[in-house]
Amino acid sequence: MKSWAKSDEEQDKKITRRDFMGAAGAVAAFTIVPSHVLGGPRRVPPSEKLNIAGVGIGGRGAGDLDEVGSENIVALCDVDDRYAAGVFKRYPNAKKYHDFRRMLDNEKNIDAVVIATPDHAHAVVAMAAIKMGKHVYCEKPLAHSIYEVRKLTEAAREAGVATQLGNQGQASEETRLACEFIWDGAIGPVREVHSWCNRPISPRGIDRPKETPPVPDTLNWDLWLGPAPQRPYHPCYLPFSWRGWWDFGTGVLGDIGCHQLVSIFRALKLGYPTSVEACSSGVNSETAPLASIIRYDFPAREGMPPVKLTWYDGGLMPARPEELEEGLRFGNADENLYIGDKGKMLGHRLLPEARSKEYGRPPRVLPRSPGHHKEWINACKGGEPAGSNFDLAGPLTEVVLLGNVALRMGQQLYEKGLKLYYDGPNMKVTNLPEANKYIRNEYREGWTL
Amino acid sequence: MKDNEKPKQTKNSKLSRRDFMGAAAAVAAFTIVPRHVLGGPRQIPPSEKVNIAGIGVGGRGGGDIEAVSSQNIVALCDVDWRQAAGTFRRHPNARKYKDFREMLEKEDKNIDAVVVATPDHVHAPASIMAMKMDKHVYCEKPLTHSVYEARLMAETAREHKVATQMGNQGQASEETRLMCETIWDGAIGQVRDVYVWTDRPLNGINKWYWPQGIDRPKGEDPVPDTLDWDLWIGPAPKRPYVERVYSPFVWRGWWDFGTGALGDIGCHSLDPVFRALKLGHPTSVEACCTLVNDETYPVASRITYEFPARGEMAPVRVHWYDGGMKPPRPLELEAGRNWDTNGTLFVGDDGMMLGNRLIPESRQREYGKPPQKLERSPGHHQEWIDACKGGKPAGSNFPNHAGLLAQVVLLGNVCLRPAIKEKMTQIKLLWDGDAMKVTNLPEANQYLHREYRQGWSL
Repeated sequence: MKSWAKSDEEQDKKITRRDFMGAAGAVAAFTIVPSHVLGGPRRVPPSEKLNIAGVGIGGRGAGDLDEVGSENIVALCDVDDRYAAGVFKRYPNAKKYHDFRRMLDNEKNIDAVVIATPDHAHAVVAMAAIKMGKHVYCEKPLAHSIYEVRKLTEAAREAGVATQLGNQGQASEETRLACEFIWDGAIGPVREVHSWCNRPISPRGIDRPKETPPVPDTLNWDLWLGPAPQRPYHPCYLPFSWRGWWDFGTGVLGDIGCHQLVSIFRALKLGYPTSVEACSSGVNSETAPLASIIRYDFPAREGMPPVKLTWYDGGLMPARPEELEEGLRFGNADENLYIGDKGKMLGHRLLPEARSKEYGRPPRVLPRSPGHHKEWINACKGGEPAGSNFDLAGPLTEVVLLGNVALRMGQQLYEKGLKLYYDGPNMKVTNLPEANKYIRNEYREGWTL
Repeated sequence: MKDNEKPKQTKNSKLSRRDFMGAAAAVAAFTIVPRHVLGGPRQIPPSEKVNIAGIGVGGRGGGDIEAVSSQNIVALCDVDWRQAAGTFRRHPNARKYKDFREMLEKEDKNIDAVVVATPDHVHAPASIMAMKMDKHVYCEKPLTHSVYEARLMAETAREHKVATQMGNQGQASEETRLMCETIWDGAIGQVRDVYVWTDRPLNGINKWYWPQGIDRPKGEDPVPDTLDWDLWIGPAPKRPYVERVYSPFVWRGWWDFGTGALGDIGCHSLDPVFRALKLGHPTSVEACCTLVNDETYPVASRITYEFPARGEMAPVRVHWYDGGMKPPRPLELEAGRNWDTNGTLFVGDDGMMLGNRLIPESRQREYGKPPQKLERSPGHHQEWIDACKGGKPAGSNFPNHAGLLAQVVLLGNVCLRPAIKEKMTQIKLLWDGDAMKVTNLPEANQYLHREYRQGWSL
């Protein structure tokens, strides 16, 4: 059952203050029952502010907090004092923590948590919050492994909390237009789609450093490692550059895939793929490659034919389509190219330009968004579920991370050039069982989901 | 014109001993005219040996010299005598040189032919000097370092009527012939896409062939006594010697010396594609790649050429991948079969051919063998030896085949140049092969050749 369906159902049982204010006094009794007795999150009426805590606030987290700055920022948590210093200063009234577990235990007034730690810590933070009935905004990718994503998706559904993944592009007009063009049949049935991004921008294809410099006073390295396996501190891991290290990040695909593939997922109504294959400029057990191509096969869906999805990073991209007029940009930055039986679409633009002009706009069938973060705030206050709530973002992230499973099979898979056949519902690679070790990572002692 | 189809007049005026022996005594007078007056290479009868000199004999050159060692190896030239030591030792009677110019001048009378296997940037100066002296030339792939040089090599070979062969030995194979014959038999119908890929230069992080995507190292190492660094640099811009960064072998990744993975492997793996599809110049080329600088080629690239219709054959796109990138695994390839790290896939209207076999394998079994239309080769190096002795042109001779193939291969590298990368987001490079010009981005033409360092010319 979807989280918003559950919310609706429980609306009757656990009445919110909004209902109360406009309703008969008879129901007032319900509102004094403490929320932990009923379970589920505190109901916050639109007129009130959410009490939000941030976990991982130095980098992208700062931007997320700004986006929800209309609410009360009551607590902030980061393991890196120096990196987080600016954000701490911006919210002088927020309580400061290094350990999210202590923060969640101590700060009883938190309604919602914004998570923007490195990927490897997303799941443990999000799960702790969800289990305590907190709404969760979590940066993309939802988690570090497919298993974690699945568990988070299930837990959020069960807890009935409002969730949103940090793939803000999902809220854009462009995403809606892409869907509406496809659904209007503007390029006919789509059998092939390409998506690319010219990252990485941090080093890749390298080995673990041998030097062991001292940990800065301002950093709690053990907490930074969180559930990841122990290793000595080195400045090559943080900030930001953890993205290239398999123990912490998820490569370019994990970084950008949830942004860029969301339009494709929606427009083509994708679920789990049947297979995935990968090739790269060279991958090792430590870091993601400098460049890769990952290819998924999706089965037919709801009247749509099977489709092949190809992901490129590191500067690689498909060949320039002949329909694109000379002089129009076809760059390697971030783009999606849909190839249908009756035409092509680049992003949300039909090719060539003449065809786009002639076609005009597709009929509007999707509601527009009040803004990505606002969607979540609204959902936290009893509004409709956010566009990238975990029921939708979970499967998307699982598919994204499956690409990394193929990449991490490394030289073995590369040399044989085999596809991994995938059983999505059961989270299992069926033809090469050794790949399944990348679907769930072991946690360091002391850490559980 | 093929280089064995010499004009009649020339043929009569430069009679070989074979012609002489079987001909009327009346023509004998011609044979005593000194060769340099008439021009053209010495005619060598099959019963005689070709006098061969090697230029660049340490690496691949060592193998090439062994492959022609049924002939007389009269002189050997290398700028790196440590690298060349093994080859020197195997041919104790050959005179040793460091500078090919000195060798060609001093040994002019003793040399019929040269085998060139220097780094790419020296191929053209060495080969063209030799051809201008009417020496037959065997030159390693890629034929040259620049498109212009490749064109000039073909023209010079044609003009001097010397026997030539590029070092893409696969062209002599049974596999290449089967690919052609299968395509020509219509086994997969009209071919519209061809995918060619190599794992070079990287093949995974820990097993690389040579580095690309790196910057010029700082500093300088003392040049070993056994190496003449200035001669190694040859026509390229001067730069300090740094140990193991440029030589041996790893020069392939540097713009100034090598031609990247495409240059290294393209002339091998695109050769059968050119033959089977009867390709000429492409109409366009475009590319994408990983970060690239002015020092080295990128870690990985994909380059796409478009070729126009040729006779009955439909327009075709040729897609090149390197650095570990592969085209998508075709459904036609059975589930358990390897989709190798290097390969060639022809996609036709009526089927697919991987290497020289239709896929799936059941399709190949049902099809059997194509009718044999092509002559088989006596061996790649032997073809050249035969051509040097007045036999028919070798399969990868410069004027009819290798010059064009190398030009097209090297044109691909033009697309990767960092300075035009941004412009390339708006266009494909449109190519006028006959005029040797990029027509829609004039600044791209500067990469078709480069200025030589002072003291070096073609």
